[in-house]
Amino acid sequence: MLDRLMQQARDAVQVASSGGADEAVATVAWGRSLEFKWRDGKVEKVQEDTSRGLSLALYVDGRFSVHSTNDLEVSRLADFVADAIALTRALEPDEHRRITPAELYEGRAELDLELVDQSLAELGRDERLEWCQEMEAQARSHGDVVSVTTGVGDSFGMSAACSSNGFEGLRKSTSIAYGSEVTLAEGENRRPEAWRWVGANHIQPLPAPVEVGKEALRRALARLGATRGASQRTAMVVDREIGSALIGRMLGAMRAGAIQQGRSFLAGRLGERIASPRFSLRDEPHLPRLGGSRLFDSEGIASQPRTVVEEGILSSFFVDTYYGSKLGMEPTSGSASNLVLSPGEHDREALLAEVGEGIYVCSWLGGNANATTGDFSFGVRGHLIRNGKLDAPVEEMNVSGNFLDLFSRLQLVGNDPVPWSSFRVPTLVFEDVQFSGS
Amino acid sequence: MTNQGADFYHWFGVDEALCTRVMGVAMGRGADYADLYFEHSMGSSVMSEDSVISRASSYVDRGVGIRVVVGDQTGYAFSEDLDEIAMCEAARTAASIAVAGGGAPVQGFRSCAGADLYPLREHWDEVRVDRKLPLLRRTEELARSLDPAVEKVTVSWANADSRVLILTSEGKLVTDRRPMARLVCSVVANRGGERQSNSANVAGRRGMDWFDEERISAMARDAVERTMVLYEARRPPAGQMPVVLAAGASGILLHEAVGHGMEADFNRKGTSIYSSMMGEKVAPDSVTIVDSALHPFERGALNIDDEGNPTQRTVLVEDGVMRSYLHDRISAEHYGVEATGSGRRESFRHVPMPRMRCTYMESGPHSRDEIIAAVDHGIVAETFTNGQVQIGAGDFTFYIKNGWLIENGRITAPIKDVNIIGNGPEAIRNISMVGDDMKLDTGGWTCGKEGQRVPVSQGMPTVLVSHLTVGGEDA
Repeated sequence: MLDRLMQQARDAVQVASSGGADEAVATVAWGRSLEFKWRDGKVEKVQEDTSRGLSLALYVDGRFSVHSTNDLEVSRLADFVADAIALTRALEPDEHRRITPAELYEGRAELDLELVDQSLAELGRDERLEWCQEMEAQARSHGDVVSVTTGVGDSFGMSAACSSNGFEGLRKSTSIAYGSEVTLAEGENRRPEAWRWVGANHIQPLPAPVEVGKEALRRALARLGATRGASQRTAMVVDREIGSALIGRMLGAMRAGAIQQGRSFLAGRLGERIASPRFSLRDEPHLPRLGGSRLFDSEGIASQPRTVVEEGILSSFFVDTYYGSKLGMEPTSGSASNLVLSPGEHDREALLAEVGEGIYVCSWLGGNANATTGDFSFGVRGHLIRNGKLDAPVEEMNVSGNFLDLFSRLQLVGNDPVPWSSFRVPTLVFEDVQFSGS
Repeated sequence: MTNQGADFYHWFGVDEALCTRVMGVAMGRGADYADLYFEHSMGSSVMSEDSVISRASSYVDRGVGIRVVVGDQTGYAFSEDLDEIAMCEAARTAASIAVAGGGAPVQGFRSCAGADLYPLREHWDEVRVDRKLPLLRRTEELARSLDPAVEKVTVSWANADSRVLILTSEGKLVTDRRPMARLVCSVVANRGGERQSNSANVAGRRGMDWFDEERISAMARDAVERTMVLYEARRPPAGQMPVVLAAGASGILLHEAVGHGMEADFNRKGTSIYSSMMGEKVAPDSVTIVDSALHPFERGALNIDDEGNPTQRTVLVEDGVMRSYLHDRISAEHYGVEATGSGRRESFRHVPMPRMRCTYMESGPHSRDEIIAAVDHGIVAETFTNGQVQIGAGDFTFYIKNGWLIENGRITAPIKDVNIIGNGPEAIRNISMVGDDMKLDTGGWTCGKEGQRVPVSQGMPTVLVSHLTVGGEDA
C-alpha cells in the first residue's frame, strides 16, 4: 500500500514537471478511522471512514503555490495540475521561494520510531463497546450524574512524500483515544461538567478504561460548589495536562515566520535570558512511540534533537527554508516534534506543600495572547491552594500578564509529565501572578 | 426545481436510480431515517507579504456522507469515491447502527426549493487569480499610506464555492450552491523599535463585486487604526466592573453566553445550564435574542440546512422570556417540535448537529451616548478575537483586542488584550441597557463545536452588562 502511495506521489511530481513546474513536492496520504460514542446505556454514534488526498507544492518561474485534492482519478489529476501551474504563473516571483535544498534531506536517522500499534487491528467492536460501558459505569456510580458520554476512537494513517530534487519519505502511524465526559446536577440549573480523555500511538502506556472513567467522575465532583475567587496576586500552579498551552505560545514566538514578520516577542533574543533558570526545553524527534516523533519534517528536513531553551537562555529558533532565507538564518525545522521540558525532582504534592498558598489551574477557558508583545489573558478554572493542599474549587477567573515576565517567575518544575504525551510538561509553579475575580 | 436536481446529479456523476439503490442499502436494516449528503467544494487563496504576492493555494474536496438514524442513535460513514460499490459499502457501514432488519423500500426523490439568499452575478470558479492581485496590492497601498509607522502589511484572500445535494429517506431532494469569501489585512507597526500588530477583515457569501474600493479602504483603515491605538492602550484594572458591548461584533457574547447553551442537543442530554429554563423569564423585557439564517449574503446565511430542512428566523429569547432551542432533526423529534433548520455540518465527513447561523440581539430604546454616560467606572469592548463557553456551568469568555476605559461617564483611554469571563444566565439577567443601533458584524467568524467548524455571523446593539470579570492587571 505504501508503495502505491509513493508511486502516486512520484506520478504527481512527474505530471507537474512535464507540465512546466521547475520543482515540485507531492504528498499522498491515506487513512482510516473508527469511532464509537456511547451514552445512557447504548451506542449514540458509530462512524467509520477511509480517506485519502494529494497535496502538491509547485515552484514555477520563481513563483510558488500549494494545492490539494481528494480526487485522485488520473484523468482529472492532469487538469488539476495544469490549473495549478497556470495559477502559479499568475503570481509574482519571490527570490526566497526555493525548494528545500537537497542537503537538508541528508543525515536522516535510521530508527524504528514504533508509531504503529499492531494490536489495534485486533481491537474488536465488542471490546470497544465494553470499554465505553466500563467508563460509563464508573460515572453512573454517583447519584447526581445527569449525563455521561464515553467514547473510543482509533485511526491508522500512511503517507508518502517525494520531491523533484530527490526527497522521498514514508510514514505510518496509529492512534487510539478514549475517554468519558460527565455532567452533574447542582442546585436548580447548574450542570458542572468535566472530562477525561487519553490518547497515544499505542494502547500500552494508557490507563485502563475503568481508571479513565473514575478520573472523569472525580474531576466533575471536584467542580461542585465552585465560586469566583477574589482578585489577587498569588502563586499559580499549572496542572501537567495544560502547561503545554503556555509553552505553545512561547514556541509560536520562536518561529522564523513570526520573527521575520515582526510578530514575535522573542525576536532578536537568541542567546538571551527569556525565562528563569528552571526552564530548559528540548525538541526530541526520535523518542519511540510518541505522536510527535519523526525522521523528517513537513519540508523533508532530516530531524535532529535540539536544545531550544537551556536554563532560561534561548538557544534556537524554528527556522524553515523560506523564512530562513528571508532572515539569512540556516534552516533547522519550521516546527517542533516532541517537546520535553526538563523535569524537577518533586511530585505535585511536594510542590503544593512548598507553595503553601495560591491558585491551582486545572483548565483554561478561552483567552488569548498577543504574539507581538507577549501580553496574555486567559480564563481559568481550578482550586485554591491552602496550607499546601488543594482546597475549594474556583471558576470565572482570569489570569493576565506578559509571557516574558511570567516565565521569569517560573519557580518550580515537577517530575510528573504525562508519559504518553508528545508535549512533556510537568506541573509548573509560577510565583506572584495576577488573577482577576470578584 | 427538477432541473436543478438533475444538474446536481450530473455534477456528482450520479442519478436518481443509483441514489435510490444506495438509500435502499442505508435503510436496509430497518432504520427510522437516512440521508445522503453529497458535497463538492473548491476554493483558493492568495496572499501578499513583504509587498510580494508569492503564495497561493487551491483545493478540491468531494464526497458523500451517509447517515442512518435510529431514535437518537446515529451510524455514519463517508465515501470519497462516488461509484456504486464504494457508496453502498459506506451505506452498509452506516446502517450497522440499526439491528431490526427489513426496511421500507425508497420510492425516489422530489425536489424541494430552499431560499435564495446568496445569488451571485459571477461565481468564484469564473474569477481568475489575476483579477484579485490588483485588489491585494491596493489594500496594501492603502494601509501603508495611513501611517508612516506601518512596517509590515499582509493581505490574504480566500474564497470557496461549495455545491451540496441532499437526499433523504423521506423522499426529499434539496440542493444548494454556497459561495464564501474573505479578505484579511494584517498590520505590524514599528515606532521607535516598539512593535504593535492588529488586523481587520471582511467576509460573507459574496462575489468579487462586493470587494470594492470603499470596502477595502474601510478595512485597511480599521486595521491601521486598531494597530496604532495600541501604542496608547493599557490593561484595564482587574476584577468585576460594568462592561459596555459596542454595536456589531459584541454579538460574540450572545454566541457564547446564550447561543451554545440553546443548541438542543445539549438540552436533550440535560447538559446545558438552560435545560430547565424554557418559557421562563431569563432577561429584562428589553432583551430579544434571535438566531436567523435569513440574512442575505452573510456568513451565517443558509438557504437550507445540512439536513435539507428549510431555514428560518428563530427567536431564542423574546422580551426576556426563553422561547426556543435550536433544533436539528434528532432533537426536534425528541421534543416533538418542528426542526428550526439549524442542523449543520462542517463537510460530508461530519454528522450534522444543532448550530448557530446569524446570532444577534434586537435593538432597544437607548442611544449609545446614554449608555456610556450611565457608567461610572467600566470598559467598552469593541473588537474581539475569540470566545468559549462551558455549556453546563454556563461560564463563558471572550477576548477583547481593542476597547476603551470609561471614567465618570466618559470614554478616557484605549485598552487592549484582555479576557472577559462571566456566567451566561447571570450576564443576560444583568443586561441593564439596550441600544438602538443593532448591527451585524461583517467579520469572518467561525464557530467550533465537537471538532466541527462552520461559518457564522453575529450582531449586537450597544449593550450595558452591569458586571463581568475583566482580566486586567492591577487588583
